[in-house]
Amino acid sequence: MSVDRQAYALAHARVRAAGPARLGAGVAAAPGMLRLTRPDSTGEAVPVWPDGVTPSLLDEHQVPPVSVERSGETRRVLAAVLKCCWRDLSVDPWPGEPASVELVLDTYRELIGRTDDLMRNWARGALRRLHDSAWVIVDDGVVLLGPRCALWPVESHAQLQELVRRLPEPERPELTVVGDADIVAVAGPHPPAPAGAGGRAEGGAAEFDDLLSGYDERRRAELVAAFMAVEHAAEPVPEVRFAALRDPALRHTLGEMLARRGRTLIQHRERWTSGYDDAVAAELGGAEGTTSLGVSERAVLTLVLVHSVAIPRAEGLLPEDSWLSPHPTPVDELRRHTQLPIGELEAALRSLRHAGLIGQVKAGEEAGGYVPGPQFHRLTPAARRRLQEELILAAGPNTPLAAAVLARRSAK
Amino acid sequence: MPVSEQPLTLDSVLTDEAVLSTYRRMFAALARDSGAVVDDPALVDIAETLFAAFAEAGEEWLTHEQMRFACRAHPADQFDNRLRVLKGLGAIREVFPKPNQLRYRASFTSVVGLMFIRRMMDDGGQSEMHRLLALEDLNVADPRTTMEEARQSALNLARAFRLWALELITLTTGTIEELREQAPKLWGTEEIARRAQSLHGTILTRWPELDRTCTDLRAAIYAYSDASRRAAGRLADSAGTTRNLTLLPTETWRTFAQTASRERLAAVLDGFVFDAPAPWHDPAAVARAVDEAPRPAPAQPTPPRSNLPDPGPESSLDSSPGAALERLTLMAESLLGEADRVALADVLGSDWPSARRVLADLTTVDLRPELPYRLAWSDGLSVDPEREPAWLSHGYLERVS
Repeated sequence: MSVDRQAYALAHARVRAAGPARLGAGVAAAPGMLRLTRPDSTGEAVPVWPDGVTPSLLDEHQVPPVSVERSGETRRVLAAVLKCCWRDLSVDPWPGEPASVELVLDTYRELIGRTDDLMRNWARGALRRLHDSAWVIVDDGVVLLGPRCALWPVESHAQLQELVRRLPEPERPELTVVGDADIVAVAGPHPPAPAGAGGRAEGGAAEFDDLLSGYDERRRAELVAAFMAVEHAAEPVPEVRFAALRDPALRHTLGEMLARRGRTLIQHRERWTSGYDDAVAAELGGAEGTTSLGVSERAVLTLVLVHSVAIPRAEGLLPEDSWLSPHPTPVDELRRHTQLPIGELEAALRSLRHAGLIGQVKAGEEAGGYVPGPQFHRLTPAARRRLQEELILAAGPNTPLAAAVLARRSAK
Repeated sequence: MPVSEQPLTLDSVLTDEAVLSTYRRMFAALARDSGAVVDDPALVDIAETLFAAFAEAGEEWLTHEQMRFACRAHPADQFDNRLRVLKGLGAIREVFPKPNQLRYRASFTSVVGLMFIRRMMDDGGQSEMHRLLALEDLNVADPRTTMEEARQSALNLARAFRLWALELITLTTGTIEELREQAPKLWGTEEIARRAQSLHGTILTRWPELDRTCTDLRAAIYAYSDASRRAAGRLADSAGTTRNLTLLPTETWRTFAQTASRERLAAVLDGFVFDAPAPWHDPAAVARAVDEAPRPAPAQPTPPRSNLPDPGPESSLDSSPGAALERLTLMAESLLGEADRVALADVLGSDWPSARRVLADLTTVDLRPELPYRLAWSDGLSVDPEREPAWLSHGYLERVS
């Protein structure tokens, strides 16, 4: 792999781990990425998918995509943002115009016909989740369309226009304390605003053409479908459903496609998914700021792993050699018997849930809790082994097992 | 005390002759017959049940029947076999040593032995070693301890560590399942090695003459630490990706989860890369979500109302306090006319709706003591199908003074 290829793979992996990448003035995006260029020629890079497909392709193959928390509400709020920010329907939705959060909330209220405080809290939660996943940018009372909105294919713009037209305009009292235009005007020119108004999307170089051009149309479609399935399905996909997973030659090409994005195929018996290539993960993990998880998120995730995997394992209740578990960590255990403050805990649980790192198990009124989420399917065997070692080193630093782990590491 | 000899304690059996029998009694609970060790854990359970029953019985001792009753959960032949062995080895013996003895007592030594064996079976002697080291530590620090005693204790420890190390080495070259099962019971934690070394240090400082014995002890400790590490290393190499989690006890995991600081917990996941949340919102899905928005329940439409003010018929009601009495008086007077008494049959109209209104009013009049009119009913009843009302009770409206 050439040096460039390595850098591109790393760039793709970084976006997957931390969200759209900021690009300096004039810096080109890696192949396979869309460059969202600002008027000052800085920009952001978001990966696109081969042959113009989107993750909606999974629906055609009846493979469930990564689940969206409170999907209906989240998408309705996104529609409200689109209504407020996409003022000129004759151009692409992104970048659109800034709008005030209040206007978005009023539009959403008009859409669902409810005015209570609960509705406001829900809508704010949805805005936060959309912000965390780069669909919108919320900054200081102002909302902008996020980089991912530039990924909507042009063919679907007509549908979005129709949607925006039929959304009701909010009835607004004549004057709030500060006019929306004033809020936007004040926030607009601030330098830290993540994206000034304006910008254009520049398609990047195609990245897989040399790999795919040798195949006929059907094979090519099969490769792309399998690529989308392993990269975006919630769970590992069965190989019988995808020709490119069954056929070793196609699978090899699929592996090469993934490698260009810093990814690798991971097999679970007859099922496949993708994960970070070990070398890429080592490089990303060593660098600062490449993970989207804060200290409290990581601490809570560790606790869930101890309670849902390590303890059931030690008690012999978990026969599978896996980091997924049917044993929920009770919420009460996390609240009462840990050193974490409750507020921090709740916020961490929320963002872990949103990222698919933990899953919520509901059972009755108070019972239930959290289990490791579907992302743990995506750990390579080496990463899973390292996770086990790190847990042993942390929980039993004085055991011979820890000594053996350290000895093995230093011998390498 | 009705016993044939002094009660057996660990102290009293430390004579040459007693050693052999103590050993025999200690392992009586594990013996299948007088020459071998049990092959069925249930046999040990019988012994334990028996000892518990003896403890409860106190100085009443136990008869054969009572022993059988205590062990009623076990088959008779197993019980008989066990009792024969226990008796044969002296763990259970007659209160008086004579033929056809009915009452039995249990040996204290056997009970202690059984407790010890159980504990050894549970944790493979690790906690035993902790206790032993703690005791030896106290011993060698005691000013009364002689050099000979210290040498003996160092020799014993060295032997224990060597045997332990040997067993671990054997396990390390055996099957991985056996290693996984046995090793955590055998390998020492750093704590044990540290204690042993400190003990070694104490002995060497106090009796530099014991240099050679201490070198032996030191070598044994190192050999043991090394074997522990090697066994752990083999497990670490061979295990899958979560299997080794079983090698730390549940309590260790719990303690870690409950006491570790936020930073220590987070450090476990340092350097791991996970995906940022990136759900896909397809335009079709967004449109569908808008269509499926929960609509508020439509407000109930109110019935149409006239625009003109409509106060209703309230003005026609005379609400002054005397109005009702006045109306009733007027009605009674109009019915009575000049007379003091009229038959109701004559004053009621011929249609029932008006007749019942008059009757209601007259009843009200009758119930008002302040009005000077009363109704008087007699028993008579006239029936005339042609008339209305067809049934008529005979009654009169009377004026009272």
